[in-house]
Amino acid sequence: MPNARPRYDSACGRFARPDPRFEAGGHPECSDCDRNVSKGARGFLFSFFLFSFSLFPFISGAQNCTLSISGNVTDEGTGIPMAYGTVYVEELQNGVASDSLGNFVLNGLCKGEYHLRFNHIGCETKTLFLSLLKDTVISINMHHHSELVDEVMVHDHHSQHETAASSTINQDNITEMANKDLSEMLEQMTGVSSIKSGAGVSKPVVHGLSGNRVAILNNGIAQSGQQWGNDHAPEIDPYVAEHISVVKGAGALAYPGGSLGGVVLIEPDEIENDPHLHGNLNYIFQTNGLGHTLNARLQKYDKWAAWRVSATAKVIGDRSAPNYYLSNTGKREYNVAAQLDKHISSKWEMKLYYSLFNTEIAILRGSHIGNLTDLEEAINRDVPFFTQDGFSYAINEPRQAVQHHLLKLESDHIFNEHQSLNLKYGGQLDNRKEFDVRRADRSDLPALSLLQWDQYLEGVYKHFFEHGRQLKAGIQLRLTDNTNDSETGILPLIPDYRGYKAGAFVIFQEERNKLLYELGARYDLNYLQVVAISSSLPREIERHYHTFHNYSFSSGLRYRVLPQLKLNLNMGHVLRSPEVNELYSAGLHQGVSGIEEGNANLQNEQATKLVLSADLNLKKKLFVQLLGYYQYISNFIYLQPEDEFRLTIRGAFPLFTYQQTDATIAGLDALVSYEPIESIKLVAKYSFLQGDDVSNKQPLVYMPSNNLFGSLSYSFKDGETMKNSNISINGKYVFRQLHLNANQDIAPTPDGYFLLGASVGTTFKLKNTKLRCSITGDNLLNTVYRDYMNRQRYFADDLGWNVSVRLNFEF
Amino acid sequence: MKNNLKYLWALPLLAVVSLTSCEKDDPEIPNEEELITTLVYTLTPDGGGTAVEFRFTDLDGDGGDAPVITNGTLAANTAYSGVITLLNEAETPAEDITEEVEEEAEEHQLFYQVATANATVTYSDTDDDGNPIGIETNFTTGDASSGTLTITLRHEPNKAAAGVADGNIANAGGETDIEVTFIVTVQ
Repeated sequence: MPNARPRYDSACGRFARPDPRFEAGGHPECSDCDRNVSKGARGFLFSFFLFSFSLFPFISGAQNCTLSISGNVTDEGTGIPMAYGTVYVEELQNGVASDSLGNFVLNGLCKGEYHLRFNHIGCETKTLFLSLLKDTVISINMHHHSELVDEVMVHDHHSQHETAASSTINQDNITEMANKDLSEMLEQMTGVSSIKSGAGVSKPVVHGLSGNRVAILNNGIAQSGQQWGNDHAPEIDPYVAEHISVVKGAGALAYPGGSLGGVVLIEPDEIENDPHLHGNLNYIFQTNGLGHTLNARLQKYDKWAAWRVSATAKVIGDRSAPNYYLSNTGKREYNVAAQLDKHISSKWEMKLYYSLFNTEIAILRGSHIGNLTDLEEAINRDVPFFTQDGFSYAINEPRQAVQHHLLKLESDHIFNEHQSLNLKYGGQLDNRKEFDVRRADRSDLPALSLLQWDQYLEGVYKHFFEHGRQLKAGIQLRLTDNTNDSETGILPLIPDYRGYKAGAFVIFQEERNKLLYELGARYDLNYLQVVAISSSLPREIERHYHTFHNYSFSSGLRYRVLPQLKLNLNMGHVLRSPEVNELYSAGLHQGVSGIEEGNANLQNEQATKLVLSADLNLKKKLFVQLLGYYQYISNFIYLQPEDEFRLTIRGAFPLFTYQQTDATIAGLDALVSYEPIESIKLVAKYSFLQGDDVSNKQPLVYMPSNNLFGSLSYSFKDGETMKNSNISINGKYVFRQLHLNANQDIAPTPDGYFLLGASVGTTFKLKNTKLRCSITGDNLLNTVYRDYMNRQRYFADDLGWNVSVRLNFEF
Repeated sequence: MKNNLKYLWALPLLAVVSLTSCEKDDPEIPNEEELITTLVYTLTPDGGGTAVEFRFTDLDGDGGDAPVITNGTLAANTAYSGVITLLNEAETPAEDITEEVEEEAEEHQLFYQVATANATVTYSDTDDDGNPIGIETNFTTGDASSGTLTITLRHEPNKAAAGVADGNIANAGGETDIEVTFIVTVQ
């Protein structure tokens, strides 16, 4: 790439200002590259990885309507011309194909503004806006993205420049599933599953770990909410994201500490440099729950700033199991988000982001129980108590109401060709209220009412050296304040607290020929101030203080053995300090009918994780990815059922206390994708995981079951107006969780089950607009099943068949 | 430009610094008005005599100190009238929760299960729908024996379900608000 020319960066979707880092031959900033890949690669065989081209005026003095745009498409890596791509001009409703040498010419153009679309087999259409004044030559360098993945594009984009394994879902996929929760979207990745409390509440599980052990970064800010409870879903609307990634390795040191399991990244993209208003309208109707989901997004690159607003509304009623309604399982969700990007100068960019997440979730009435007798009775019932004969949209107690605000201010500063600084401030406010069925008109009073605010400050400095070396160092400060509202009239399960966290990290990376290696270290100081109310009389205020030091290290390397074979090795040692629920929770956890007691003497968890992955890509027909991992966690914090029963006026409850043990988690994620011919694609995925408590010589509880997934899809040839037409069928088998002793659960683990799904869709192209219509079916055989990872399995069957009809309009 | 940057960042920095300097306030201790600390089952002999009291008290609610249970001794072959009193003794003066249950009589029912002891319990009160509540009962003892008496208060039971009106808990459903067990001695 010649120096000093304006670059078009497909990922960022705009003409980039000359970036000194690239011109100097320095190593491109890693995370930017990752973003490039994910957007360019939207779900297909290969993608534009580094899709850069240069524009320069050619011959001046051309007449009106005799202008031309010509160019050449080559493979960036090899320089070989890429034949038979298409270039389409939206304004003219016409286009040309590149010839066998990758050349194309568009003639007879008038002066004016044009939206060009570039396409190559299987690739998502990319739009480029350009204001044509003169004959113009464009040279396009396309980089084949070698990590193909499957049809829904769970691709391994991070591994291009990182040594930690990760998977990604893209925007098309996100909007396709916009009626689902974040965690349900992530489930399609191998090695990622969900822990659920019924149909409306789910949180992600990465390689067997969840909650406080999996950090969720929304827009670069660590999500601050009530992460501790399995019945508290992350307060995030996935529709805001351009892509969502899961980093499975232990090397995610740039993110706030303690993520033993992995990191979930929700990343909105930059706003494309296009002065016209563009938007997306997405509507989904689902038969199960008679649910409506409406999403809308508008964006424009105005002279004063680039802006984007998006909104989501969801109204879903009672879901149904194959044989009965799951009474009181509806949901309402109303979210808005706004993003403002401003280039203050060529070296300074400011970004402002605000989002509000607002939800109300009904919890299955039949799962609300008073004591152990009720629970045993509920387990033995075929149809849950309180099951109604009819459908209803009503949301009654028990229910949850949650509001989450996020405000982010970010500043990107480039000092010179080698150095850059990124500063971030994030403020969050989380208000969670949970309502129970209560006596004497108290149902309107929440039984749990928590207000949490969180302030986050981060500075990351990057230095790009010669020869592909780079250094990244950062400081992060965080303050979290959590307060119970005494309006509940109930002693809180977790006390009020204030947590101070200060962290610093440094990561060094070098790329040499076929080898990329990375070394990193991180230190976190956690100070916790807990203000509790005594559990015995007289009620007194107790103050507790804790200080934890966490050290983390990681190293990784990627080696490209052959162009078709890539190996990744990642090893990390991460410490996590106990959270407030593990230290001080006190009281009855009704959902599980147990009294849970914290343990103030808990020490740091120390985890060592080893991840080895191999990616094989043969002639773009066969792609195989194998990922094996082994994690040893000493001082693993878990809930130990004690032999003791605590007597209360509601009967005797088993006592659970937080204890520490040594644990191992080992597993395998496998993905195979095969395309015998261009229009047919077969995908198979398999996840295996086993968790063990080494000290007590027993399995770990709530580890995901092994599962197998397969799909077959057929793509039709594009027609005049109908494009991207495809039909697919898929099946998923979840094995019974056999790695568990009978005395570790109050009910036997559910049987394995098979779910059949199918989908059909097409895109109508009209002028500058696109209308995508698709129909998706889930559990088409109406299989009656219960899932081990769903806490509602004690009370009711899981969801019956569902058909979703989706319309997506883009302009 | 660098100066501008500094000023802008001073704002959140100031916010963070100012907040780090203070100690977290004392929490407000919730007014546990819904708490039931005490159940008293008072059995008065129909033929006159001293009443027998079964009492379960747990002043600090779930967790904390263990509850205090007082069991009773009953005379053989005697008819008693039983009355339940529910109290919240965490408040001063103690709040009578029985009234709350009476006000929502249709949504509540008490169940009495006697095991091994020779005694029967029947309801002697009804809600507006004509179904039993169980605050007032008739307790009749047989020959000398001993065993247990479990008193259960269910919220939102299905009073129309089979056997529920006769005091059979099996099909009642709902949530358990109270489940206490006493030792009963009949002599």
